[in-house]
Formats: sequence, C-alpha cells, structure tokens
Amino acid sequence: MKYLTEKNNKYLYGYPNWKYKAFFVLVFGFIAILITGFIGLNFGTISIQPQKILSILWHHNTNDSLGIIIWELRIPRLIMAMLAGMTLAGVGGAFQGILRNPLADPYILGVSAGAALGACTGIALQYITGTYLTNILPIFALIGSFISMFLVYFFSKNKSHLPMTDLLLAGVAVNFFFSALITLLLAVSNRELHSMIFWLMGDLSNSSWQKISIIFLPVFAGSFLLIFSSLELNAMALGEEEALHLGIQTEKLRLRIFVIGSVMIAIVVSFTGLIGFVGLVIPHIARLIVGPDHRIMLPVSALIGAIFLILCDTIARTVLAPTEIPIGAITAIIGAPLFIHLLKRRNENNEY
Amino acid sequence: MNTKEPIITLKDISFSYEKTPLLQDINLSVFSGEFIGIIGPNGSGKTTLLKLISGVLEPQRGKILIFNKDITNIPRKKLAKIISVVPQESHVAYNYKAKEVVFMGRIPHITQWQGETLLDYQISQNAMKKTDSLCHAEKGIHQISGGEMQRIYIARALAQTPKILMLDEFASHLDLNYKYEMIKILRNTLQEDVKCIISVFHDLNLASFCADRLILLNKGKVEISGTPQEVINNNNLRKVYRSHAHIIQHPELAIPQVIM
Repeated sequence: MKYLTEKNNKYLYGYPNWKYKAFFVLVFGFIAILITGFIGLNFGTISIQPQKILSILWHHNTNDSLGIIIWELRIPRLIMAMLAGMTLAGVGGAFQGILRNPLADPYILGVSAGAALGACTGIALQYITGTYLTNILPIFALIGSFISMFLVYFFSKNKSHLPMTDLLLAGVAVNFFFSALITLLLAVSNRELHSMIFWLMGDLSNSSWQKISIIFLPVFAGSFLLIFSSLELNAMALGEEEALHLGIQTEKLRLRIFVIGSVMIAIVVSFTGLIGFVGLVIPHIARLIVGPDHRIMLPVSALIGAIFLILCDTIARTVLAPTEIPIGAITAIIGAPLFIHLLKRRNENNEY
Repeated sequence: MNTKEPIITLKDISFSYEKTPLLQDINLSVFSGEFIGIIGPNGSGKTTLLKLISGVLEPQRGKILIFNKDITNIPRKKLAKIISVVPQESHVAYNYKAKEVVFMGRIPHITQWQGETLLDYQISQNAMKKTDSLCHAEKGIHQISGGEMQRIYIARALAQTPKILMLDEFASHLDLNYKYEMIKILRNTLQEDVKCIISVFHDLNLASFCADRLILLNKGKVEISGTPQEVINNNNLRKVYRSHAHIIQHPELAIPQVIM
C-alpha cells in the first residue's frame, strides 16, 4: 500500500500537539516582552543606565527624579503600549478570521472613526469653552465609538439577521461619514489642530497607572473570550456553510466576536488614539510564524503586537527627542513596507 | 428493507427563495444501508435539497425527520455529530495544512475546554489513510490540486464519524482510478458506522454506478425515484433533460449507462 511508507508511519507521533506549541511560544513571547520592555526603559529624553534601571526596579525607588521617570512615566507607558498592541493585533486576527478576509482590521466596523470624532469634538470643545477636558477625552472617544457601533449595527440589521456584507458596508459607510466630519472639524480648527492630529495618529504620552487599571480588565477578559472562540474561528475558515455543518452557530459566533472585539478596541483606542497598521499586519506575521490555527495564532499575534508596539513607542520617543513623533506614524512607516513585502511573498508562493 | 424505520424522512417539503419556488412537495424516506443518488438538470433543486436535509436551509412547509426527530429540534452541534457534508467546491480562507483541515472534522466532538485527545488524531489519520491522502498531510491546502482537495474533503467528512454522509458532486475532479477507489471507500463506510449516503450527481453514469436508488428531480419536483434501471430510460431523460441520448447496458453490471 502506498501510504505505509516509513515516513508516513511516524505521522501520528509527529502530529504537533498545539498545547505544547502554545506553551513554548507563550513562554518565549513573555521573555521577549520583558527584554523589549527593558530596552524601552533605557531610552527616552534622558538615557538611563541599565544597572541604574535594575536597581530602581529592584528597590521600587520612587524618591528621586530618575525613579519617578521610570515608575510614573516610562513603565505605565510601556504597559499601555503592550496592552494596546495586544488588543489591536489580537482583535485584528479574530476579525480576519471571522470575516475570512486577510485585509480586515480592527477598525473595519467603524469603531475608530466614532472614537476619533468623539475625541476631536472634545478637543474642539476644550478650546471653545476654555475648560480643561484632556483628562476626560477618553470618555468623549468612548461615547463616539459606541455611537458608531450602534449605527453600524442598526443599519445592517435585517430582521433578526446580521448579514456579513451589509455589516461591512455599513462599517465602511459610517467610517467615511465620520471621517468626513473629522475633516470638517480639522478644517475649521487652528490652535487645536496639533492635538487633534496627534490623537488621530495615536498618542501614548498620557499613559498613567490609573488608565492602565481601567483598560486592564476589559483587555484580558476580552482576549480570553476571543481565544476561547478560536476553535470555531478555525471552522469558519472552511466557509460559512461548512462551519454550520461542523455544528458552529455562525451568526451567533460572528455577533459575539464583533461585540467583544469592538468593545475592546473602543476602550483601548479611547486612551491611545488611533494606532494604525498593527491590527492589520501583525496577525499576518503571526500566521507566517505559527500557521493559521487560531488557538496558537491569536495569542502569538497578541504577543507580537505587544512587542511591536513597545518597540515603535521607543522609537517614537527617541528618534527626534525631545520632540515626540505620533506612534501611528511609526507603526505605519514600519508596517506598510512589511505588509507589502508579505503580500508579495504570498503571491509568489501562490498562497492567496 | 422498507419494514425498518427510515433514517431520514421528508414530508411534503416545499422551499422557495424570495418567492421563487425551488422545491415543491418533496416526499422521501431513506433507509439504513442505502446509497441515494440525486440527479436532475441544472437548477432542478438538487443542491437545495441537500442543504435542506443537512439543516443549512429551513423549508417553508413540511417536516424533516432525522432518526425520527424533527431536525429543527436537534441542536446544531448534535446534528454535526450525525450528518457530515462534502461540499462541491470550497475555498479555505487561510493556508491550513491538509491534516489540519481533516482534523476540523473533529470539531463537533471536542470542546474548547478539554481539547482533543489522541483518539481524535487517530480518527483523522485513519480517515486520511482511507482516502489515500496521507501523503498530502503536511501540504498547505492552497498548494494541492482539485482532485487531492476532494479526497481531503472526503477524509474530513469521514473524520466527523457521521451516521449520515452527504456529498455534492464528490468526484468531479477525481481521476478514473480515484473515482473507483472513492466509490469503494464510500461503499465500505456503509458496512461500518455510516447508515446512509446521499449524493448529488451531475454524471448520470456515475450515479447509476454508485447509487442503489436514484431520485430524478425536475423543476423542483420529484419526477421519478427508483433503481437506476427504473429511472434512467429514454422516456424519462427526454422528458426531463429534453435531449435524446442512447442508453446501453453496462457490459458486466446490470446498470444502464448513457452515451451521447
């Protein structure tokens, strides 16, 4: 018989148990985050010696200025970058899975445009009314993103169904409409323009322990729920009908993924601004490394997203120090060529 | 055979899509051990009938019973343990390995919490062995040919360990030798766990070769159902397909074959 060759007999034993693979990858990922995080702590407007950082971390020293820089500025910012990267890349991977579309990103359902409009409105109000609103900008952004989510849901709902194409089209329409309103706001503003553009390109400079404590729980709970759906996301890759044949309630799954993902993104984006490209590109890199199985791909994507954003933020803080570059610009400058390179590679391998 | 309880019963099934009636008053009983072939010209409702039985579509009128239970009362996950479907053509969204695609057949049987066991791998491996696709196990699903793909899909359906196996045009890309092999494999499964097989055919000769009973659909209605000898004759073909064909007897088997 043809299949009873030496190599194929070992097939069963060579079957990769995804749990071992996932464990290995997660441990490796956490170590990588620690290392990149430590590198990130070194750089900034003032460089701090690695030994000094270690001693500050070890003694939990918050007395002198260096201690305050590390504990109150750089570490919160680092953790914020990590959480944002995790969320964007993880949700991006899940959206690409549920939509069966490699070009989907976390902003595809209009969450981002809503948040941006909310935040820009807040910034404009701050200048018009003269009251200090910077601390409550996230609330404006959150309200904006929930409005846009509701609009997308409302426009695409057809009786009790939620057709995928309608959902995407509603997302695109809401995105365009809100973006147009933002453009209008930008056109009529002058002094506040800089803060608006900074928000639109992503800004981690306002990170604080308090903000981290707000987004920490939703991010981890949401990530857990997304990873919990990964077996069903695998089935979706075969097609909607195939997934039904495998016992997946596809419509419920889709709604669940969209709601969890959008809420996570809305919360994170409200604090960080719009950081582009992470949610689109990182899942592809994760797929290239560990394959498309969502049970491994999603956690890996989140880890790589965290590492990538920590690095990008370090670059954004240091390249033109003391001037900061918006982090969204860095992610796109690195992300866009990377993405094109990946697309070309995919096409060459005929993998599309 | 007909004294036994039917496995699948369709009672007065009607289905229309946006007011266009696709199927009307379909009655059908499928019994244990049967290989049913659904034939008919394009647009006669073959695939729609398959989708109704597999629970993807819901009929506007009528009732579908699976093992004497109304299909609407069977939870989807439980249904997936009973019925598996080999699609006509399908695109896998990302480049999964062939063995991962076969393994997806185990999804209805495993839970996210407990994960898979060795048994699940053994069943998937066996299914690949049966369909002679083990040599493609490590290949990306986008890298393999149409015929190999169809074998992978049949393997996936077998890995689901179904009681009812449904196929839509399973042999369209298969070479002659694999066609023969697959028919043998499908026949063998009827000796094991699978209770009945329902397949849609375009190829009348293949249908007549495979199936115990043929159902000839015409404009959403059952024109005639019976053994290949009863169904495939000049009279029926002229009426349904509106074309003339020569019908000859298979040189070794007592089945009709259609030639141009």
